[in-house]
Amino acid sequence: MAQTAVSQKSSVEVIETPRELEREPLVLNNRSLGWISDQIAGIVEGKTPWWWWAAFVPSVLGMFMCFGCIAYLISTGVGVWGLNHPVGWAWDITNFVFWIGIGHAGTLISAVLFLLRQKWRTSINRAAEAMTLFAVACAGIFPLIHVGRIWFAWWLFPLPNSNDIWPQFRSPLLWDVFAVSTYGTVSLLFWYVGLIPDLATMRDRAKTKMRKFAYGLFALGWSGGNRHWSNYEKAYLLLAGLSTPLVLSVHSIVSFDFAVSQVPGWHTTIFPPYFVAGAIFSGFGMVLTLLVPLRTICKLQDIITVRHVELMCKVILATGSIVGYAYGMEFFIAWYGGNPYELYAFKNRAFGPYCWAYWAMITCNVISPQLFWFKWCRTNVVFVFIVSIFVNIGMWFERFVIIVTSLHRDYIPANWGYFSPTWVDILTFVGSFGLFMTLFLIFMRFLPMIAISEVKGVTPQADPHHPLGGAKGGHH
Amino acid sequence: MKTIPPTCPEPETGPRYWRSLDHLAESPEFQQWVQREFPAGASEFTDPVSRRHFVKIMSASFLLGGLGLTGCRKPEETIIPFSKLPEDYIHGVPRFYATAMPTRTGAIPLLVKSHEGRPIKIEGNQDHPDENGGTDHYAQASILNLYDPDRATRYTKGGNSVSREIAVDHLGEISRGLATTGGRGFAILADRSTSASRLRLQNLIAQKFPQSKWFSYEAIDFDVHRQAATIAFGQPSRPVEHFEKAAVILSLDSDFIGSEEESYKHCRGFAQGRRIEKPTDALNRLYVVEPVMTLTGSNADHRLRRPASGIAQVAAQFAAAIIDKQNVEEKWIAECAKDLLANQGKALVVAGYRQPLEVHLLAAAMNNALGSYGKTISLMPAPPTKEGTLQDLALDLNAGAVETLIILGGNPAYSAPADLNWPDIQKKAREVIHLSYYEDETAAISTWHLPAAHYLESWGDAITSSGTLVPVQPLIAPIFNGITDIEVLARIAGLNDTNPHSVVRETFKIMAGEGNLDNQWKKFLHDGFLAGNSAKPITATFNNAVVGQARQKIQAAPAPGKEQLEVVFCRDYSVDDGRYINNGWLQELPDPITKLVWDNAICISPKTARELELNHNALPENGKFHNDKVEIEVGGRKVQGGVWILPGMADYTIAVSLGYGRTKTGRVGKGTGFNAYALRTSGSPGWSSGAKLRRTGETYHLVTTQEHGMMEGRPIIREGNLEQYRKKPDFAKNMDLEAHAPNAGPIYKHPYREQPSLKSDVHQWGMVIDLNTCVGCNACVVACQSENNIPIVGKEQVSKGREMHWLRIDRYFSSSPGAHGGNATAAEDPQVNNQPMLCQHCESAPCESVCPVNATVHDEEGLNLMAYNRCVGTRYCSNNCPYKVRRFNFFDYNRRPLDKLTDSPLQSPSELMRWFKKPEEGSIPQDEWELKKLVKNPDVTVRMRGVMEKCTFCVQRIEGAKIAQKVKAGASGNVRVPEGTFTTACAQACPAGAIVFGNLADPDSAVNKLKAQPRNYSVLGFLDTKPRLTYLARIRNPNPAMPDYYDMPLSLKEYSDHHGNPMDTHASPDRDHAHGTEVKAEQKGGH
Repeated sequence: MAQTAVSQKSSVEVIETPRELEREPLVLNNRSLGWISDQIAGIVEGKTPWWWWAAFVPSVLGMFMCFGCIAYLISTGVGVWGLNHPVGWAWDITNFVFWIGIGHAGTLISAVLFLLRQKWRTSINRAAEAMTLFAVACAGIFPLIHVGRIWFAWWLFPLPNSNDIWPQFRSPLLWDVFAVSTYGTVSLLFWYVGLIPDLATMRDRAKTKMRKFAYGLFALGWSGGNRHWSNYEKAYLLLAGLSTPLVLSVHSIVSFDFAVSQVPGWHTTIFPPYFVAGAIFSGFGMVLTLLVPLRTICKLQDIITVRHVELMCKVILATGSIVGYAYGMEFFIAWYGGNPYELYAFKNRAFGPYCWAYWAMITCNVISPQLFWFKWCRTNVVFVFIVSIFVNIGMWFERFVIIVTSLHRDYIPANWGYFSPTWVDILTFVGSFGLFMTLFLIFMRFLPMIAISEVKGVTPQADPHHPLGGAKGGHH
Repeated sequence: MKTIPPTCPEPETGPRYWRSLDHLAESPEFQQWVQREFPAGASEFTDPVSRRHFVKIMSASFLLGGLGLTGCRKPEETIIPFSKLPEDYIHGVPRFYATAMPTRTGAIPLLVKSHEGRPIKIEGNQDHPDENGGTDHYAQASILNLYDPDRATRYTKGGNSVSREIAVDHLGEISRGLATTGGRGFAILADRSTSASRLRLQNLIAQKFPQSKWFSYEAIDFDVHRQAATIAFGQPSRPVEHFEKAAVILSLDSDFIGSEEESYKHCRGFAQGRRIEKPTDALNRLYVVEPVMTLTGSNADHRLRRPASGIAQVAAQFAAAIIDKQNVEEKWIAECAKDLLANQGKALVVAGYRQPLEVHLLAAAMNNALGSYGKTISLMPAPPTKEGTLQDLALDLNAGAVETLIILGGNPAYSAPADLNWPDIQKKAREVIHLSYYEDETAAISTWHLPAAHYLESWGDAITSSGTLVPVQPLIAPIFNGITDIEVLARIAGLNDTNPHSVVRETFKIMAGEGNLDNQWKKFLHDGFLAGNSAKPITATFNNAVVGQARQKIQAAPAPGKEQLEVVFCRDYSVDDGRYINNGWLQELPDPITKLVWDNAICISPKTARELELNHNALPENGKFHNDKVEIEVGGRKVQGGVWILPGMADYTIAVSLGYGRTKTGRVGKGTGFNAYALRTSGSPGWSSGAKLRRTGETYHLVTTQEHGMMEGRPIIREGNLEQYRKKPDFAKNMDLEAHAPNAGPIYKHPYREQPSLKSDVHQWGMVIDLNTCVGCNACVVACQSENNIPIVGKEQVSKGREMHWLRIDRYFSSSPGAHGGNATAAEDPQVNNQPMLCQHCESAPCESVCPVNATVHDEEGLNLMAYNRCVGTRYCSNNCPYKVRRFNFFDYNRRPLDKLTDSPLQSPSELMRWFKKPEEGSIPQDEWELKKLVKNPDVTVRMRGVMEKCTFCVQRIEGAKIAQKVKAGASGNVRVPEGTFTTACAQACPAGAIVFGNLADPDSAVNKLKAQPRNYSVLGFLDTKPRLTYLARIRNPNPAMPDYYDMPLSLKEYSDHHGNPMDTHASPDRDHAHGTEVKAEQKGGH
């Protein structure tokens, strides 16, 4: 139906492609390249909208609340959280895995979909990558502050020292340090490399000296020459290749924190693939949570189209089903494996004192994404937004269920306990959203949140062989 | 490691030396200087305590503490630094002094470790003929009282501080006054003591002032044992039970393992009869009739729940069956009596202190009929007494017959029977002088208060229950200038030399008889007892007439009911009668049965709770248990407290423990529990009948260290009946998970197997805990706390499961559904199991592989070590520990007040400044800090917050012993520490000898022999953690003829329902379970 609109508006004669070969365009309404630049750069260049402030102020307050809680925690002791014996990890590691899981969508979208030539990624990859970085930043905080003596946390790095003491290379926590820092570094590089052409665009459009200098500095002298483009695309491809294994490795390694231990409910070989699927699931959930409102507020419906939303919903459906399968398989193996401790751990998950958390998780993660079998559900953005929130909640609960229900009742019944969070637990977690949103809002206010050059590249106008392409495109 | 105490002062002979003209002239100033108990400066040591000052006095006391040279002390300034080192002093090497802790009916002979003049650890005196080095938890914890900042630190008159001299002079005045009146209007109210010196002074005072009166009072009194023996045998005597010689024991409400006096000895005797090496060994059998689930009840083979008032009836039936050989209707009693009769001369009947005299007389008669006297009980001579009771004193006070009253110890204003209305009648005396360790409720209403010296700072003596004279020898000068009861009495008696050292030596002279007194005295102090002077058991004929009288007194008591509940008063396992209320170690020591800390509770049976519609939530909300708060009313007297539903209680019985709810106490005891003395009257000190219980609608927050009491069918504690064990001695091994499904072994080869060179072939440390002899007495828990500087964390923190005990005792109830007619009553008659749980020192330790910074590592001697300095506190090790024996410092428990743990230093600028300036000091009050650090063991690191800690197998003791052996070995190269040189603090304190630690590399070591027993198993061995600590399965010895006989222990039944009967299947013989030691495994060739 969009096709007719395009042909009517176009001043150029268009040779109709046979309907069956027609691909749904990635940018609707046959928007020109200039419109794309204006629309995306406009978010950065225009006057700060009221809604930005309305979102920014509470986010910053939340961020400071998070920092305040951390200062209180560090100055007083880990006991200000509700952690106890036997539950040595609770919200801290739950939040860590939650945020690191969210950080998975960005790299998946930018690297894996890039290698798979999924052109629809271009509208969402920049924002998703930024989200990844900020989520990794939030994730990095929790394992850091959860240690008892944070001032010695640098001992986790293999630094040469006079005592010749090295970290313990058998510990999954050490693997975490390497995995997460590698992932953060590569993601940052990948994001930055992708930004360079757009930074140059911003530089060229800048009206003040300050902006020109700042964007120019980071644009690294980009001139858009062929050599630049050639090098850029090689670098981008290489980084995409580098990032792809990381998508799988980071959450696999995070899952080793649990799988390598011998706590019933943790000690499971299914964890690496199950965690990766869950991470992609939660990451896409968060991408939708952010972009569904933003596309409306920033009037980007033509660039982030309903088709994009629908495709992401399909990913959620697929990964959500994998996660649901994993939940079922865990139970099957707990029974089939014949280990009474394991079986108890899973029974206790579903019917023990934390059963509310378990069933909240099942509802959010297994049942709600199944609605995406229906096209209406995938294409109604309000509905999608609501389900994406459910996915976020469900995935937080998944980590909570895995960590807390397994720990609170393990081998020796005399040592069973119960965990309840304190206000510090809650406010630190809530505050971490403030940090995340603050970073994201700053990002969208100062950097093009959609990869301008890449979106242009997937428009018909960019294709010299397309009737709209090349010089025929008009005012670029 | 024991050292001979420094020599005693020689009597002055030869030319007289004088140190100043004042001395020569005997000027009043000089006299005063000499008479001062302490050198100048010391007596100003009141408060605030300055650190420098404190250390000075500590050092002074180090030199002089053992000597009692009050008049001849050197001026303090020449003492620091040691310009002349004392001859036998080696810096950093602890010294051990023999002393004793006086108890109500005896004394516990001790060997106390002293570091630089500070006593820091209490151990039993193994050299004493009746001791094995074990103690009870009170003795272990009593050292903390010495350094209690809240103890009485001043002499007061009318509430105002006065100097010691004034107070002491006043005693002299009283004495001079008594000389004129002959003691009329003078009374002494004393707690019970076995001190020979005190008895001598008591007699002296009675002689000199014939009209003076002496009264004895204990809130919880064990004198009924002596009274019963004295009546039954017609001469002053007391019974001493030998549980080790008894094959069948019947306890009539006697918690001889727990709350009776001398329980640690009973533990040992009882454990002796439970110790088995091979299936053919005999095992004693314990029958218990009791109203409240006690430690003794939890160790019983057969247990009958009866209200306290019904015990007399049971005793009468037993008497009928045993003495008169009548048939008794109740099968439980009839069969038990049959069993007792079948074991003539090997049977023992004991009655509890709570029970009235007639029950004790019947028990004595039964023992007589069973031929127990001279075999399982000896009759020891007891000094005849002419003492009055508190009730007698109350009559005198009310009659206005008491002018001057001296209260030695005790706290009647708090603990006296409620009907006496003590706080009012005490005021009827013109003058009351109160000597006690705390400025307590009684001190507040007394004219004078004298601070008592701790037994570790005073000279005294005592006679143990076996009749040996033991010295109470000071290790430190009185920190707060306290005074002893002996000195008070000596001054009242008007002795010339009132120095307690002289008094005690004088008594010793009388008791030791002929010989070289100096040498004998030295030996006495060195050995810690007077050898060869023990009292001999007496033989006497039983007066059968008393049985009839006793029977007559027993009337059928109306059974308690829903509206007529019975309140049973118990001695608290933690705070005793209230005397240890301010002792943090004991407050945080879980009650062995309820596992409650920091509180007493109103315990009732599940059935009664259902009928009264009471509950305590199975699950805590916000980490807290919310229990109904109820009010008990007896005869118009009311108390309120939280309800605790305790399986094994007699129905319609309420158990309350005494000693809590103090109004005048220190920082630790403040606000803990409720005062159950408010319900207790002089007529019925054991229990009160006719109580009503009413819900207040409020809830109360009770805190327990163990929230789940069922074993869930898991083979954690393994137990079998004796017949089962005889049929299949290795049944415990058959309960392993791997016995059913062999595992393929670990992916990674065991490092020791890979590289045997990593292992030391000299020492390999290991431990065995015999669950058959462990009675769950808690002594090991406190010993560990004392040895390893383990902090207390407070009630709030325990409610979050953050207690720091490295060694805990897990208590499990097991019940059999349907065993007592349906599920509803399944929990009413549970079987109880105890298991000390501590770091298992796994050879393949799961904690080690997950620590990212290598803070927990293995050493070549098989210890799982913790490098506190390296720990960053990820808590991963704790999560991965299957036994959950690692403890994390969530706060700086050592350096912050427990009620302000969550206060950030960022909250106030002054605190922030302190934090920057003196981060090591923490924010606890200065006086507390100064004293708190003195009790610390200098060989053990004090851990800061954010650090994981756990049992180290007392690595400081291991290293100490190794160093000593290396020095001894010299060139011979024989560096293996010989068996028996040392042991861990828990094993050392265990009166039952249930914990055995030793060297697995030594084929002859006791620990190896125990591990070779078929009962040996490792907990969760299927995880292939290869623990170095293994357990010996518990064996029960039920009587098949009894109505409550089960063919297998209930926990085993529960296990069998899940996993099949381990008595049927066979363990695969070719598999090397994790049970064996490494050494054994290698001998067998390993995998």
